[in-house]
Amino acid sequence: MTTPSSPPCLSLLDLSVYRGECPVVDHVSITIQAGELVGLIGPNGAGKTSLMRGALGLLPHQGHSSLTALRADLRAKAVAWLPQNREIAWPVSVETLVMLGRVPHLAAGQMPQQNDRTAVAHALAAMDLTGFEKRPATALSGGEQARVLMARALAQDCPLIMADEPVAGLDPRHQIATLAYLRDLTRQGKAALVSLHDLGLAARFCDRLILMDHGQKRADGAPKNVLTEAHLRQVFGITAHVTTSDQGLIFQALEVVR
Amino acid sequence: MTGISQMRLLGGLSVLVLLLCTASLLIGPAGFSISDSLTALFTGTGDAVSLVMQEIRLPRALLAIMVGFSLGLSGAALQGYLRNPLAEPGLIGVSSSAALGAVITLQTGIAAQMMIVLPFFGLVGAAIAVVLLLLLAGPRGGSLTLILAGIAISALAGALTSLVLNLSPNPFATSEIVFWMLGSLADRSFSHIWIALPFMALGWVLILSTARGLDTLILGEDAAASLGINLGVLRWVLVAGVAACTGAATSVVGAIGFVGLVVPHILRPFVGAQPSRLLPASALGGAALVLAADIAARLILPDRDLKLGVVMAIIGAPIFLHLIYRTRRAEL
Repeated sequence: MTTPSSPPCLSLLDLSVYRGECPVVDHVSITIQAGELVGLIGPNGAGKTSLMRGALGLLPHQGHSSLTALRADLRAKAVAWLPQNREIAWPVSVETLVMLGRVPHLAAGQMPQQNDRTAVAHALAAMDLTGFEKRPATALSGGEQARVLMARALAQDCPLIMADEPVAGLDPRHQIATLAYLRDLTRQGKAALVSLHDLGLAARFCDRLILMDHGQKRADGAPKNVLTEAHLRQVFGITAHVTTSDQGLIFQALEVVR
Repeated sequence: MTGISQMRLLGGLSVLVLLLCTASLLIGPAGFSISDSLTALFTGTGDAVSLVMQEIRLPRALLAIMVGFSLGLSGAALQGYLRNPLAEPGLIGVSSSAALGAVITLQTGIAAQMMIVLPFFGLVGAAIAVVLLLLLAGPRGGSLTLILAGIAISALAGALTSLVLNLSPNPFATSEIVFWMLGSLADRSFSHIWIALPFMALGWVLILSTARGLDTLILGEDAAASLGINLGVLRWVLVAGVAACTGAATSVVGAIGFVGLVVPHILRPFVGAQPSRLLPASALGGAALVLAADIAARLILPDRDLKLGVVMAIIGAPIFLHLIYRTRRAEL
């Protein structure tokens, strides 16, 4: 599906992000091609969020990012970003909120067109939110708000989606549905980079995992090559049961390493 | 769909402003009949009636609209930017600095030289506040540093205003300063309008240009930036717009509180809480509220020169209390 000659959706070269003197992202290089669903894993404070924010130009950084090389208005059409903190400041309707994803596609002062409304309707349907259009977004439950915000990112309709813990706080059905939808999108030629704490979901849905530890990239490859006993012990400090079944890779965390 | 109801809301508010404006033109101590007043307004016969209508009542009504429009718009913009319903135009310290500039001219007596001196120094005070804001909050700082800088400037300007009052040469200057600070639309002429209008118009254009950016800020600063909004530019366009509006308003009519706080709050449910739609609605609502308060100031105690700022606070505070009560009930 992906021809090797097509430019990558994201390429980071020696990207570093500093908090004061301390590098929270330390010379990380990553390439993501169209068609890939890439999981970003690592313990708390490993630099997952800083890596993504640095790549987007939201944090001062050193090194090269293909996204920050773009002008801001073009970047907004190249990547949709779903931050971790799920902010909804005013009680606007779900439809209004998701329509914000169309802002990069509208000319100055232009009202939403038919294709914008179609994109919003698709995004709402994908996140199982049809019928929620007129509800105030702030009156929904936490998990529903998370889905509304995901729908906003989907409505942006970019070649690349970067999402910071998009399934945290969702019920199992919607965790699976969200990742399955992202996988479907990547099969249609888009790409996604999602940070995940649920290694079981990461193992099952991602084409590739990137393991971060202390700001550095420790591993990058197929889930079964990343979720090795040594990596789990050294980086996460846990043991796990990992098997390959006819359902794909099955991961179950077991115990803390003492 | 939502566009039509927005049109209806803005249309309704415009009609309300027109009605109140007409009422404002027809009320006054001279007691002309309605037909005489309106005829005199549109025909320049040069007699007393047309003089009163064209040189006293018309500028008063127009200034009420301009000031209300500016304060309502500024309040809605600041609340949208800070994502806080308690934000109001005075928060960034520009209005208290404009008041300081004006008060200095009253204390030193130079205000008596020429009508233009007082509003001019008010504008200078506002401009100094903007420069201080830029220096304190920096070109890249977040909304928190902006609020803190604004509070610091407000406090400093307030302290200096007290000092000016303290040092005022005689009781007449003191009472003049105190009455000016209460805010009023009485005895304003077209000169006041021509001084304020360019700054206000600039402020309106700047603030309205931030509408889409304010909408994206619903999602937080990170998401707004990733949607292609340059937050640094947005912030300074907004601050410049609010400063131009409130600085000009304070310079010509004194400090008028509550408009920028209460009006966006009242109208927010009617626009589906969307900041971009709230901007024009709140501007028209502000114009209506200031017109209404100015009419009330003249009707309640016609002989005592009741000050607009006082009436506004008396009207505004209970509205605000009611809103708090309603919010609390909604949260239960």
